[in-house]
Amino acid sequence: MIKAENISKSFKIYEKPSDRLKEIVSGLDYHSKVHALRNISFNIEDGETVGIIGQNGAGKSTLLKILNGVILPDCGSFINSGRTTGLLELGTGFNIEYSGIENIYLNGMLLGMSKPEIENKLVTIKDFSDLGDFINKPLRTYSTGMTMRLAFSIAVHADPKCFLVDEVLTVGDAYFQHKCIEKLREFRRNGGSIIFVSHDMNAIKMLCDKAILLNNGEVVEYGNPDHVVNKYSFLTAQMIDRGNKMLVEDRENISYGTFEAKISSVSIRGEMSESDIIFSGEYAVIKVIVESQVDLSDLAVGFMLKDRFGQEIFGTNTFHHGYDISLAKKEKLAIVFKVQMNLGVGKYFITSAIHSKPTHGSKHLHWAEKVVSFEVAGNKGNYYEGVCKLYPDISFDKGSD
Amino acid sequence: MKTSLIIEYARRDLSERFAGSEIGGLWNVVWPLVNIAIYTIIFSKIIGARLPGDSSAYSYSIYLVAGLLPWNTFSSTITRITTVFVQKRAILTKIRVSLPYLPIYIVLSEAFIYFVSMMIFIVYVILTGYEISEYIFFVPLIFAVQQIFAFSVGFFCAIFYVFMRDIGEVVSIVMQIWFWFTPIVYVVTILPETLQPLFRYNPACAFINSYQQIFLFNQPPFLRNLIFLAIIAHIILIAAYLIYLKLEKDIRDFV
Repeated sequence: MIKAENISKSFKIYEKPSDRLKEIVSGLDYHSKVHALRNISFNIEDGETVGIIGQNGAGKSTLLKILNGVILPDCGSFINSGRTTGLLELGTGFNIEYSGIENIYLNGMLLGMSKPEIENKLVTIKDFSDLGDFINKPLRTYSTGMTMRLAFSIAVHADPKCFLVDEVLTVGDAYFQHKCIEKLREFRRNGGSIIFVSHDMNAIKMLCDKAILLNNGEVVEYGNPDHVVNKYSFLTAQMIDRGNKMLVEDRENISYGTFEAKISSVSIRGEMSESDIIFSGEYAVIKVIVESQVDLSDLAVGFMLKDRFGQEIFGTNTFHHGYDISLAKKEKLAIVFKVQMNLGVGKYFITSAIHSKPTHGSKHLHWAEKVVSFEVAGNKGNYYEGVCKLYPDISFDKGSD
Repeated sequence: MKTSLIIEYARRDLSERFAGSEIGGLWNVVWPLVNIAIYTIIFSKIIGARLPGDSSAYSYSIYLVAGLLPWNTFSSTITRITTVFVQKRAILTKIRVSLPYLPIYIVLSEAFIYFVSMMIFIVYVILTGYEISEYIFFVPLIFAVQQIFAFSVGFFCAIFYVFMRDIGEVVSIVMQIWFWFTPIVYVVTILPETLQPLFRYNPACAFINSYQQIFLFNQPPFLRNLIFLAIIAHIILIAAYLIYLKLEKDIRDFV
């Protein structure tokens, strides 16, 4: 069990470290202060998995470092009932001249295992790492992936009471990743707790029992992961809104056209989540606002969803749905598409365009490439895997061929 | 931090520096041997004559080695401990490690190098026909006092090195000057008589002269000086520890 109470941490920023000495000698202040964490309290029961989310600089890493004991808090206390191993220290103390086996010993001891303990687990660690004969070769002959695999294998076998995980579940190939996640699940079943820092909202929703949202060093939200993730996307949306007006103009380099009419903003909101992080299967509203410079008629406005590889997933426009759009000079119009996002989890982009009807030669007035991104995370309803959500009906027919 | 880890660290330290090289840890012994050969060739004629008793090249080399080996250990213990926190930052910023405990591995690995070199030296002394007296049993004691002193000074400097990297260079230079102000390659009697009393204030003389007493002259060590040095060492150690307690948070932030 981990219990943190009122943890605060501020970093004194000195222009150079020797200013700290000057301060001691002279008694004057030579620093500016940055509050990294303020009054953080939470507790984590055995067997619980807790996700920590927040924007860059919110204090996530500082919190992990304090939990790990690498830095000390200014005030507050925390009780930690067992050995804590971070997956943030993967491969700490590795020496590339030594063989895999020797590095297992060195790293294992650093992680708090005793020599006999490592001897007992040696075979298991070797097998888990899938390194084969490489285990006896010096580390400098390893690929990056192999080194990480070895590091991870040691770390998961260190038998801590609590794991600190910092975005490292991208170790090795899909097969190895699967093995790692299996191992972490087993660890959880045996009563171990996991503290998990990630920007992958899907992972947070799928893996965590609780989540903590940090913003500017404070706990903004704590509890049910769905709830906390929504709050987080609300926070990010606020930040994006601040810059939204400029969005299209900012990306002039990837937009083109005659600009007789312009797309002035594109946004997407999940109906339930009210944010740009959307459940698979949830209805979302894509709103495209266009503004015309001159009188125009016979226009079409459309959007295209692309995945993170730029692959086109789905696109359509108003013309194909039987609408004609006409705009008077200086007129603004919002086109709202309501779409059920039956997409697999992942990050997506929206490209939007306004053009003349295909019957008029499809002249592009404004094409805005990848203006907005959103994320599909989590799933309500029946579990599925893959890039899209279909709704199969299942029936059983006994005795037929 | 467990004792087994410190020992493992010391072990790795010895082999790590030369890991990947063919003769590995043997380089630890090659270096002092080369130094000794150079000093013996250059200085034996000049200073050997001033040594009491017979003035063979052997007597000078014994005088030299008796002082030079422990000095090397002493000096590199201090300079290496000074930079240890920054050197091991990759580990300190990721794993909780007790800071005063960590440098002990340097003391151990340096002690091991000294031990091996001493074994070779003792064989050499016997081969040259010199007598080895029972006072040799004082050597571990003198060495312990010397290394506690080195650890204290090193730990003291290490705390400040985190805030001011210049300390590293300062320590190297001071050690170099200190070496030449300690009668290791020369005997104190070749200096002008007015300078000689000043050497009483050099704490390194307490142990260096004691080794020379034992190996060259079969005389007991300067116990009073050594006790005095041990007291100084502990005062520095306590002072360094108190400063450390006050600055631990900053050290961990800065490393």
